[in-house]
Amino acid sequence: MTTETLIWLIPLPPILAFFLIVLFTNRNKALSHSIGVGAALLSWIGSMVVFVRAIGVENLGKTPFVSSINWLPTGDTWLRIGVLVDPLTAVTLFFVAWTVLMIFIYSVGYHNFGQPEGDHDHKGLPPHGATVEEHGHKHVVPSIEPMYSRFFAFIGLFAFGMFTLVVSDNLLTLFVGWEIMGLCSYLLIGFWYGKKSARDAAIKAFMTTRVGDVFMLLGIAYLYSVTGTLSFREIFSETTLHTLAAIPSGVLGFSTAGLIGLLLFIGTVGKSAQFPLHVWLPDAMEGPTPVSAMIHAATMVSAGVYAVIRMFPLLSLDAQTMSIVAFIGAFTALFAATIALAQNDIKRVLAYSTISQLGYMIAALGIGAYVAAAFHLMTHAFFKALLFLGSGSVIHGMEHGVLHTGNHKVDPQDMFNMGGLRNKMPITFWTFLLGGFALSGFPLITAGFWSKDEILADAFAHNLPVFITLAIAAFLTAFYTMRQITLTFLGEPRTEEAKHAQETPWTMTLPLIVLSVFAVGYGWLGIPEHFPVLGGLVPNWIHEFVGGTLAEHPEALDFNIVPLLTSLVVALGGLGLGYLFYRNVNSSTEDKLQIGFLKNKYYFDEIYDVVFIKPVTWFADKVVYQIMDKGFIDGILHLFGPGTQGIGDTIRNYFDLPVINRFLGDGSANATYWSGEKLRVVQTGRIQQYLMLGLILFLAIGAILYFFVLA
Amino acid sequence: MDFIVNHFLSLVLFIPSLAALIMLFLPKGEAKLLRWFALGASLVPFLLSVSLWFQFKSFVPGFQFQERYEWYEAIGSSLHLGVDGLSLTMVLLTTLLTPLAILASFNITEKVKAYMMLFLFLETGMLGVFMSLDLLVFFVFWEVGLVPMYFLINQWGSANRNYASMKFMIYTMGGSLGLLLAIQMLGVLFGTYDLLALTQRWTALDPDSTLLGMSVSTVKAIAFWAFTIAFAVKVPVWPFHTWLPDAHTEAPTAGSMILAGVLLKLGAYGFLRLILPLYPAEAKMFAAALAVLATAAIVFGAFASFAQTDFKRLVAYSSVNHMGFVVLGIAAAGLASGTPDATIALNGAILQMFNHGLSAAGMFFLVGVIYERTHTRNLEEFGGLFPLAPVYGGILIFTSMASLGLPGLNGFISEFLVVRGTWPILTTFTAISMVGLLFTGAYILKGIKKVLHGPLNEHWAHGEHKVTEINAREILVMAPLMVLILWIGIYPAWILDVINKAVVMLF
Amino acid sequence: MVPLSWYLIFSAALFSIGLFGVLSRRNAVAILLGIELMLNSVNVNLAAFWRYGNVTDIAGQVFAIIVFAVAAAEVSVGLALVISIYRKRNTVIADDIDMLKF
Repeated sequence: MTTETLIWLIPLPPILAFFLIVLFTNRNKALSHSIGVGAALLSWIGSMVVFVRAIGVENLGKTPFVSSINWLPTGDTWLRIGVLVDPLTAVTLFFVAWTVLMIFIYSVGYHNFGQPEGDHDHKGLPPHGATVEEHGHKHVVPSIEPMYSRFFAFIGLFAFGMFTLVVSDNLLTLFVGWEIMGLCSYLLIGFWYGKKSARDAAIKAFMTTRVGDVFMLLGIAYLYSVTGTLSFREIFSETTLHTLAAIPSGVLGFSTAGLIGLLLFIGTVGKSAQFPLHVWLPDAMEGPTPVSAMIHAATMVSAGVYAVIRMFPLLSLDAQTMSIVAFIGAFTALFAATIALAQNDIKRVLAYSTISQLGYMIAALGIGAYVAAAFHLMTHAFFKALLFLGSGSVIHGMEHGVLHTGNHKVDPQDMFNMGGLRNKMPITFWTFLLGGFALSGFPLITAGFWSKDEILADAFAHNLPVFITLAIAAFLTAFYTMRQITLTFLGEPRTEEAKHAQETPWTMTLPLIVLSVFAVGYGWLGIPEHFPVLGGLVPNWIHEFVGGTLAEHPEALDFNIVPLLTSLVVALGGLGLGYLFYRNVNSSTEDKLQIGFLKNKYYFDEIYDVVFIKPVTWFADKVVYQIMDKGFIDGILHLFGPGTQGIGDTIRNYFDLPVINRFLGDGSANATYWSGEKLRVVQTGRIQQYLMLGLILFLAIGAILYFFVLA
Repeated sequence: MDFIVNHFLSLVLFIPSLAALIMLFLPKGEAKLLRWFALGASLVPFLLSVSLWFQFKSFVPGFQFQERYEWYEAIGSSLHLGVDGLSLTMVLLTTLLTPLAILASFNITEKVKAYMMLFLFLETGMLGVFMSLDLLVFFVFWEVGLVPMYFLINQWGSANRNYASMKFMIYTMGGSLGLLLAIQMLGVLFGTYDLLALTQRWTALDPDSTLLGMSVSTVKAIAFWAFTIAFAVKVPVWPFHTWLPDAHTEAPTAGSMILAGVLLKLGAYGFLRLILPLYPAEAKMFAAALAVLATAAIVFGAFASFAQTDFKRLVAYSSVNHMGFVVLGIAAAGLASGTPDATIALNGAILQMFNHGLSAAGMFFLVGVIYERTHTRNLEEFGGLFPLAPVYGGILIFTSMASLGLPGLNGFISEFLVVRGTWPILTTFTAISMVGLLFTGAYILKGIKKVLHGPLNEHWAHGEHKVTEINAREILVMAPLMVLILWIGIYPAWILDVINKAVVMLF
Repeated sequence: MVPLSWYLIFSAALFSIGLFGVLSRRNAVAILLGIELMLNSVNVNLAAFWRYGNVTDIAGQVFAIIVFAVAAAEVSVGLALVISIYRKRNTVIADDIDMLKF
């Protein structure tokens, strides 16, 4: 099979799995998950084959794998869609395929496959456990998810969206994949739709990202109308870029390229949950944990960053746009990190850390660090998927404890209910630790260190304020990560439930182990050449390969000791302080960082509610519907009714009745009646009188004719 | 065989009416026979128009399958039929939706005979508008479509049907009054009602000739406005839209399907067939005004839809929102006629007409399905129906997403094309209309949330009120719509190519 | 030969006598007699004009014969009516037969 055909085929297995499960196999749980995992495996195989072939190609950036077909006729031309695998796609495909496959496998265990059906489980609500009788005494075990098959259908669709997005050679199919993921995230966040919080979170996620998507659609339309193409390779040709940079857009001094870039970037702001559209992502934790990992690591949020990295040649044409991007990214990185400090829900901490890390990548792009952004995207995908799956494993273990004690008031996601889990769940602990260290940028061994260090080095070289912001954010990241690890795994169990937590089955731990290998090892592919001692030991493959995507290969930075020291200090300092602060904290009241302002996420949800949602609802109902449609337009219409009636009444009362009825109608009848009354005497019934009368008339008429007419 | 080949369009056009006349002689009580007969009779035109679609040569300019019969020779009017890519698309939509609507009305039990006959007459009326190339005949069919719909709403509608049917009738009649006048003026001025002859004489007419003391340009201007108002009411363009929510809400399910699916397209078709080709100058001059109204329809339609508590009304307002994109595309094409951007905008507008026909019909049907089980349309009274009717839920989400314009489904393609086409021409309006696109999401999600999601309303779970799953017949109604929705969403070229060629040759 | 005008004067006189009879007599049978006189005065006219006009054209004679036939039919119907009325109302006085009035 040619590579091009293979690329076309990569997104197909998950979508086929989706249709198969939805249409045919949804009653059979085992078959459904086999189809789902099998599809993910097929896509994984395809992706790996493509990846291996791609790295074998000399200078892939210049001669990528491309293939396209006519799709939309537009006048005399066609809009073509197709697939493209250049270095950026290849590496993205690599991490997407791995994480997707791991998440599929993990889901089998997470949704309690093989367990009995719950006693009181309802579709639309999380499973509550089942009672089984064993050796004569009853005990409660986790029960299988009631909508098990449906879950695999949804994540299949999700995977399809992501693969489509990654292999697209044009913005339109990228957008198609982008939006399909938006739908899936809606469906998956609202998976337990019986919960109000899940419903609201699903709608919030969809609508918030849609704000960005609408701008992105405009950006696509704008780009398409200026350049006449949406294919990346054609847009990034030198002449097209030159024209785009040269034409002013007429808005606030942006060039056309700058404005288009900004519109597209707003799409990313929504999708990658950047400030000010970040509010949906923490709420998206309402979904099942594999969903959180899908959305937060492997797919949707990465897709946002991937899109900006993809559009980098366009964005970089306008300095103004770049500085906006850098500002939003850096600000989000810091802002989200501060909120993460005060969260107690194990998944919410990770959610804010995701926002923060995505801000990192965006900021890196904003200062022009293309390769560093892409590198961090990949390493982050691995370690954040690991962390989310790890937290899911923790929650699962805790739920086991909750079922054991039967005390359902204990929140299995609250870190203050945990503690000491390292002994109960060793695999989860060690993998989570590796993931946490990677996130914090633990020096030298973790992947997160290398990618973060590269961003900091770039920032130091190009933009000092961004460097300082990111350094503080990195410190906070290390701090809250250690807080999380300390509260969850270290110390002694703080609740009875934590004492009875249990390690999760192999379907959940295997993905953790695989991902932790990448969370550590992937970084070694990107060690800078000029790094002391280690530099040059392994070639800086990431830089060489990914940098090749751009027309001009970015130059490797000279080594500078300041950013290296900074990243060492913030990472180790943050981790150390985090451990010191929290090793003796036993309840949330003892936590000094439970500041209302941080805990309530700077009150953004409340502000948005007051500023946008309430007024819009009011406007829609009261102004548009009640006043405008019902009141004004229908009011005018309803005037026509009485108005016409008034005219009709007038005509009837003042014309029809007196003139036509009385005068013409009744009048003629009356006249006839009156004259008949008068003339009736003539009719005697006597034939001779009639004849006489006839004779007289005859004579009279004859006389008249004779004397007047004929004469 | 020759007869069929030579009279293809007349067959498609008159078979429904003929069947309706035959139905007169069928026994009144045999509801089953009447239903199946009507369904069969409406499937024949569908099969014929599918074969029409395959015989149609999209690269040939002008009208194909033309037929012409003398009708009213004294005033120069004839029954002149013909289709091009634009009208063929609409014919296909009409003949597809009518059998589905009839199938959807199999649950009608009172006055089945009259109901089915009205539907078949309605089909002839709608097809006639799309096929006729003679203004007078066009008008006749235009009105023929109105009457059955009035009775369908008035006789088989829900509680407030008298008000709604009256409003529908008066409103559209008000619009078509001017239409008739304008058509007559043009007919007298040019001595023919034939669209092709009229188009040829349109510019060649001696500018000094007069009608009733009015100059040619005055007559044209009056006719332009009369046309515009008539079509604007039918589309409907904001602020002429308030008949729509009432009529759609009160009409029987199948009536709403046809109303939203086809009748609204008559207005947009009028814009494309008559106004743009005949009045390029006026269209250009007033394009901005039309764009304002279209944007208002998109934005306010979405807002109004969001404000509804009645499920069917919510869907009805979504039609205002979606048809706004059609009008926006037409406005852009009027402003920049002949440019590639205008072509794209028109492609989008016409495809949007077709797509909205599919998704709106589907949505109305699904509302009907749930209404039949619960006897309420109040969104507040539903809740958590997903576990009770998972297949229904899946279909509803699918169709809603098509309506929302989710990429991969049909609505996205047309909306994208409209946005792409109008952006360079009417940048500001396109940008403002995005607010409407955003709120499309809001009201669709509101509908799904209130009906499917949420805690289960126990009322529907047990006893006589138990909500049952969508049945096979109902799935059969939805299946063709869903297949087309997906097909156009994934590979739109098969239909868009025909539209595109027609647009390139027409404008 | 007697000039045509004599015949015409005779016929006019006969007609006037008949008319007077019709108008003035009370007996219905007498009124019928008057009508016969008037018809026959016409016959005189027809015969006279034939004789003084184109003799080969026998239209006048034919008309006269038709008038005879009509007169005979008319009298027979008239007398039948009179008899029928007499049987019903026991009178033949025209003035008494005045049912056809307002």
